[in-house]
Amino acid sequence: MTSTGSRTVPTEIESPETHEVAAPDLPWLVIVWNDPINLMSYVTYVFQKLFGYSRAKAHKLMLDVHYKGRAVVASGPKERAELDVARLHQHGLWATMERSG
Amino acid sequence: MSFRSRIRPARTGGYELRLAPEERTLLTVLPAHLLSLLEDVGETPPDDLPDVLRRLLPPAYPSDPDAERAYESMTREDLVEHHRESLETMSATANATWLDDEQLVAWLAALNDLRLALGSLIGVTEDEVELPDNDENPAERIAYLYLGGLQSELVDILEQTLPDPVPGADDLVPDDHWGEPPGGLRWDGTPQPRYP
Repeated sequence: MTSTGSRTVPTEIESPETHEVAAPDLPWLVIVWNDPINLMSYVTYVFQKLFGYSRAKAHKLMLDVHYKGRAVVASGPKERAELDVARLHQHGLWATMERSG
Repeated sequence: MSFRSRIRPARTGGYELRLAPEERTLLTVLPAHLLSLLEDVGETPPDDLPDVLRRLLPPAYPSDPDAERAYESMTREDLVEHHRESLETMSATANATWLDDEQLVAWLAALNDLRLALGSLIGVTEDEVELPDNDENPAERIAYLYLGGLQSELVDILEQTLPDPVPGADDLVPDDHWGEPPGGLRWDGTPQPRYP
C-alpha cells in the first residue's frame, strides 16, 4: 500500500485565526475512529449511505477504521466537513475533523 | 427460539416484524430509559456528559475547545432531536407487526443508540463476545448482545435498499490517507487486531 507521503509533513506552527483566510482552499479531513461497539457491517452500510461509496470502498474504509484505528472518510471545505461529521454523529459513528496538512 | 428471521420485507411493501413479547417489552422499555436521560443534556459539553451519553454526543473538534463550542451550538439540538425521534419511533412501534421504510431506518438508528449507551455502561472492550464471570451487569450485557443481533439483521435488510454508488465517489478520498501505522499498533497506540 502506498502512502501519501507529501501530505503527512507535520506542521510545527500554530496558525493564528487571522491567518485562516490566507489558505481558504486547504481541505479539512473527516476522520472516523475505531470503537468497540459499532458493528462492522453497520459502519460499512453508513459509509455507503452517506457518501455514495461502492460496497468495496466502504468495506475497505471500515477495515482501516477497525484495524488501524482511524480512517479519512471524506475531505473538503470546512462547512462541508462539519456537515459530514454531523451526519456521521447522527449515525452514531465516532467522527472528528481536522485541517489537512 | 427459532432461527427464522425476525424482520423481512413484506410482499406488499414495508417489513414484517415477528418478535416475541419479551423482545417487544425490551424494545419499549430501553428507548424510554434512554429518552429520559437525553432530556437533561441541554448544552452540557461532551467531557461533562455521563459516560452512558458520551458516545451519543461526541465532539467534532476534541482538541479545539473554541471550535467545539461553536460546532455544538450549531449541531447539538439537531443531534439530540435525531436520537429522540428514532427512540420514540421504536418505542411507539415496538408492538407493531409491520413497519414502513422510514420506521425501519429509525429502528436501526435506535438500536445503534441503545447499543452505544449500554456498551458504554458495561464498558465493552474490543471484540468481546463471551459473558465474563462475576459480571456486574449481566442483564445489560445480555440486552446489549441481543440488540446487536437484531441490528445485524436490520443492516443486512437495509443494505439491499441502498441506491447505486455515486459514480466517481470512490476516488474522492484515498483508501489509506496515513499509510500503515507503525509496529503492529493502531494510530492511537493500541494493539492492532489480527486480520481474520
